[in-house]
Amino acid sequence: MSDKVLIVDDEKDFLDLISERLKARDVDVSTATRGEDAVSLIDKESYDAVVLDLQMPGMDGLEALKRIKEKNPDVQVILLTGHATVEKGVEAMKLGAMDLIEKPADLPTIIDRIKRAKAEKIILVEKKSQERIQDILTRKAW
Amino acid sequence: MEHKPLPQDTGLAFYSKVSASISHELKNALAVINESAGFLEDVTLMVQKGIPLDPGRLSTLAGTVLKQVQRSNTIIKNMNRLAHSLDEKQAVVDIGSLLGLMLHVSERNAVSRGVKISGTFPESPVSITTNPFFLETLVWLLLELSMDACGDARAVNVAATGTGTGAGMTFSGLDALTGAGADAFLAGRSGPLLEALGGDLKILEEEGRLVLALPAAFSADF
Repeated sequence: MSDKVLIVDDEKDFLDLISERLKARDVDVSTATRGEDAVSLIDKESYDAVVLDLQMPGMDGLEALKRIKEKNPDVQVILLTGHATVEKGVEAMKLGAMDLIEKPADLPTIIDRIKRAKAEKIILVEKKSQERIQDILTRKAW
Repeated sequence: MEHKPLPQDTGLAFYSKVSASISHELKNALAVINESAGFLEDVTLMVQKGIPLDPGRLSTLAGTVLKQVQRSNTIIKNMNRLAHSLDEKQAVVDIGSLLGLMLHVSERNAVSRGVKISGTFPESPVSITTNPFFLETLVWLLLELSMDACGDARAVNVAATGTGTGAGMTFSGLDALTGAGADAFLAGRSGPLLEALGGDLKILEEEGRLVLALPAAFSADF
């Protein structure tokens, strides 16, 4: 099954190019140019990873990250930034981002992070399934 | 006694914020150029595998790269103008040209705050002799205040004009302008800048306007 990714960036030219390149690599890509739209899409679809620009007009990347994690804590978010400082990295991780990549980023790096995000999501989903099974067994024990 | 920041310190704060904004913009332009180069690599691999080349797609890509080169060039030209405004403590400044520069450098900040800022320029050049860097810093502060005070309309107009005694700028559309906010503004960083420029700022709360007046020539000892 192909990786399913949401890419969020207010730079439309960048979004169109990276989207086209990822689709050529069999990635199922959705896009949004605003943080608000990204948060709405999370309600409707399940993504293996969200690649999110940090600096956007209106709702910025950190605010969008917070709202996305509130809606779905299992979503793996990779932040894109023009300047990846240690402080930004720490703040992003505290808010639940999986990784922080500095622009301009090379595509192999982005794809590698998407694959890691998908693997992490699978682990979380399996863990939750195990917990549900355990809960059922515990409650139904006779 | 309350310490008022020196114009130079306020200028440094302005320069640092604008430099950070410029570097972000350039990184975004580089990101697009980088993806374009990557796309060309992809196309090369596809051609080697026998997939035909789409000239239309390549032409569109060339347009995208050119657009980002032009964007970067404008950003760097503005950065250069700002840097050179520190060359002299006093210089002849075209008020319309300075306003145009400040609208450009404030554009990303305005967009991220959801405010549309438009400029109205004099029909012919209006020049004054002043400290260019301090004037840029003051205009930047006035734009910040205007964005805070524009209310729900989220639209500000700045008109540069000649006056009988020099030049001026009027910031209008400030529906949420309050006397308290404006007083704090004057008491803070802008006060020393106005003194350094020999300028006067009228706060017309009911009309939602700020009117800056500057003399034809002024030199402060800094």
